[in-house]
Amino acid sequence: MDPPNRTQRQRCWEARDAYYKCLDSLKVNTPGEEGGKCAEEVAAFSKACAASWVEHFNRKRVFDIKQAAALRGG
Amino acid sequence: MTKRSYSSMEQQSMDRNAVGLATWRSALIFIVTGVGLYFYFESEKKKVKERKAAELANVKTGRPKVGGPFTLTDQDGKEFTEQDLLGKWSLIYFGFTNCPDICPDELDKMGAVVDLIEKKHGADVVIPVFVSVDPARDSVSQVKKYLSEFHPKMIGLTGPYDAVKKMCKVYRVYFSTPAEVKPGEDYLVDHSIYFYLMDPKGEFVDAFGKANTAKEVKAKFDKAVEAWKAEE
Repeated sequence: MDPPNRTQRQRCWEARDAYYKCLDSLKVNTPGEEGGKCAEEVAAFSKACAASWVEHFNRKRVFDIKQAAALRGG
Repeated sequence: MTKRSYSSMEQQSMDRNAVGLATWRSALIFIVTGVGLYFYFESEKKKVKERKAAELANVKTGRPKVGGPFTLTDQDGKEFTEQDLLGKWSLIYFGFTNCPDICPDELDKMGAVVDLIEKKHGADVVIPVFVSVDPARDSVSQVKKYLSEFHPKMIGLTGPYDAVKKMCKVYRVYFSTPAEVKPGEDYLVDHSIYFYLMDPKGEFVDAFGKANTAKEVKAKFDKAVEAWKAEE
């Protein structure tokens, strides 16, 4: 399988960002805990990105949120 | 013949003078030694201070041992070794084409750095190099395709697992690719996210990461070039 080129990467990132925006609006940090509410975004995200990327980004989201909270002194 | 005998008083005063002379002499020696030692220590302190200042100012002193011989293949199928880096500065980034976000960002940044450097120092002063740490998936054609979207001067290197492992070892790059990977497998490679600046002698100068902007890297490059010229 060919790795994504710049355009495909961009599309993947955009799908990811749309999904995370949905999660943010529901105040859900961990992807998967939104109880099926962002189903459309999840589907688009999984389609636009390789599974390993989805896993990577989801893990990163949780980590980044935790880190930001820690830096704020939360 | 009478033996000369001194009265005890005379004896005492003679003794006292002898002691007095000895005391003066030893006091003088003591002072001279003390002054001598003082000047000696001051000059030694000064030397240490100067050496320390020189070390701090000099980019080259106390560098980690990064870099060494390697043999890989560039994106046009030609053999590329550490010899091909000599005579020019190089920026070397270790990554893989299936990288989700960091590699493309860092490679873009490296391209921006090269442009900034070329604007000031002219063309072909620095070679940007991408080395794949995912030999199982990153074939020569894969690397070529990947690099077509980045800086035109960028060289891409790949090779058999052992060759890549060897280069990563001498460059102290950590990577997590297992030796046996099934074809078509989907995985990410854990790797150290730095790009290295090497001088025209092939020696390590500095390492840059996500936190360094293109401008910062270019500024550090300028300093390295100055230090390099000063030593010539």
